[in-house]
Amino acid sequence: MASTKEKLIAHVSKEGPAGPTNKVTVVGVGMVGMAAAVSILLKDLTDELALVDVMEDKLKGEAMDLQHGSLFLKTHKIVADKDYSVTANSKVVVVTAGARQQEGESRLNLVQRNVNIFKFIIPNIIKYSPNCILLVVSNPVDILTYVAWKLSGLPRNRVIGSGTNLDSARFRYLMGEKLGIHPSSCHGWVIGEHGDSSVPVWSGVNVAGVSLQGLNPDMGTDKDKEDWKSVHKMVVDSAYEVIKLKGYTSWAIGMSVADLCESILKNLRKCHPVSTLVKGMHGVNEEVFLSVPCILGNSGLTDVVHMTLKSDEVKQLVKSAETLWGVQKELTL
Amino acid sequence: TLVSCVCVCVCVCSSAVLSMASVLQKLITPLSSGPLEPPRSKVTVVGVGQVGMACAVSVLLRELADELALVDVIEDKLKGEMMDLQHGSLFLKTPKIVSGKDYSVTANSRIVVVTAGVRQQEGESRLNLVQRNVNIFKHIIPQIVRYSPNCILIVVSNPVDVLTYVTWKLSGLPKHRVIGSGTNLDSARFRYLMAERLGIHPSSFNGWILGEHGDSSVPVWSGTNVAGVSLQKLNPDIGKDTDRENWKETHKKVVDSAYEVIRLKGYTNWAIGLSVADLTESLMKNLNRVHPVSTMVKGMYGISDEVYLSLPCVLNSAGVGSVVNMSLTSDEVSQLKKSADMLWHIQKDLKDL
Repeated sequence: MASTKEKLIAHVSKEGPAGPTNKVTVVGVGMVGMAAAVSILLKDLTDELALVDVMEDKLKGEAMDLQHGSLFLKTHKIVADKDYSVTANSKVVVVTAGARQQEGESRLNLVQRNVNIFKFIIPNIIKYSPNCILLVVSNPVDILTYVAWKLSGLPRNRVIGSGTNLDSARFRYLMGEKLGIHPSSCHGWVIGEHGDSSVPVWSGVNVAGVSLQGLNPDMGTDKDKEDWKSVHKMVVDSAYEVIKLKGYTSWAIGMSVADLCESILKNLRKCHPVSTLVKGMHGVNEEVFLSVPCILGNSGLTDVVHMTLKSDEVKQLVKSAETLWGVQKELTL
Repeated sequence: TLVSCVCVCVCVCSSAVLSMASVLQKLITPLSSGPLEPPRSKVTVVGVGQVGMACAVSVLLRELADELALVDVIEDKLKGEMMDLQHGSLFLKTPKIVSGKDYSVTANSRIVVVTAGVRQQEGESRLNLVQRNVNIFKHIIPQIVRYSPNCILIVVSNPVDVLTYVTWKLSGLPKHRVIGSGTNLDSARFRYLMAERLGIHPSSFNGWILGEHGDSSVPVWSGTNVAGVSLQKLNPDIGKDTDRENWKETHKKVVDSAYEVIRLKGYTNWAIGLSVADLTESLMKNLNRVHPVSTMVKGMYGISDEVYLSLPCVLNSAGVGSVVNMSLTSDEVSQLKKSADMLWHIQKDLKDL
């Protein structure tokens, strides 16, 4: 007695089902993880999405909720489990797991809490996706990208921190508001440490190649009548501001993660400000990760753009590196 | 706000004695002057809870709006959500995102999505929410219509069929411009679950769930098909208790879905957000696609009360352009009638509509 399915559909292929071609795993189904997952799904970037977390009910609920939207999506397989076997064969693994900043808490305070979590997560990821590209989002991102690199044993091109990708996006948004132009036409790079000590490279700020600092040599200094420096200050304060108002940030970081995933999965070789190993660059001698403009493609972070920085910008990077190393050397990995 | 900086720079510079042209002035030469154009595809989302924000993000990522407005009563949360979305502007094609407790920010919306209200608690049926949400709507709906008299309203808050009726009454809008998200989500879940069983994509499985959103929704088994091949013809027992393959279980899973997800994560949001964006697309782009949404069904299927139930509706830029006359079995019709009676029973006692 043939089933309805058998009467309806005749299987004709002799091959077994092929595996995923650009699978993405998101570790951590908190607000940031789910915002990243939804952004990735709505951009049609992947043919399989895996979610991992330790809270099993929450994890299953989130996966079901996404699956129920399958009609509207082009990602046929959405899986979730506490066990990392569901993450096997991922091209990109986005790590959002860890404790989040409390109101007023600086990113550096989170460190040891999150290092301990990573000691469990990272080896499990590598076990099932030894050739993946790790995209670290958890804060403090520059330190945790270093930690992920050490724990994973991956080459440095496969471990990327979301870094100042979001800071730069916020900068360009604020710049766009000031000029009445869409952010994508406003160019500006915020590099270095993600957070309080990020460095806005004023010399590079431009629209259509016209340097704004060329038009306003005081830009970025305290004597600037237009106070562009406050634009950068607003970027630094953004996260704290949004956390104070709604408890956390999610949407912007989620979209910025999807933007990075797109460049990697589609091998675009776009240039993004993301956190990478900067030892040997700009006078940095320590093994630390900071954001600089990097080329992203399907083998990860393959090249770094060497920015021409002013001496005080270099000084800031060196200082960040020293601070980060000061924290990193105390960590038990 | 920073938008006002543009105007300030221009005013200060034109009146300054030392005419130090600003960066903006040196960089950009304006060509067209005059008032700003009003938005052409503005969407408002009322309520920035999990459902509202899922709707907002889906609308943004699908690039459906040239302006998005958010409204709520919790001001900090509202501002925080707006800022978080604005910070993603680089990655979006919606150049203006605004918010406010005051409904003036919603002016000139083409579509207003109403998600405001209290949510179902674990185990609570949708019908229990009614009077709590009616009182909230009495404040919301007239304000929406005041600022966007030509909008189309999509009601999502539960119990959606009752609240769409309430919205229609409070708004004074013609019935084709008030839509309830209805069984759009139930049908999406149904198509997902059925397609999983068959090993195909949900969009290639056709199946409609109509009537009341929730426990008494009606799966129209006669319409289920893949590539036009009717599943009921292949399996005449489909949907019945006698069915060896127990396809009826799939509909039961759809009904239980919301409760299940609520039990696991506390609420549902992603699927409903995506389904609302799907409706928004049809309305905004005048697509004339057919969706199962909640519409005023008095006069159809022997229903004589003014109730909203989900039927296949053709959606375009005017709202519900037309309704598809589904051929239903007498059993399916009596289920619709029963839902209608139950809804009217609740509605007739609602005060101050």
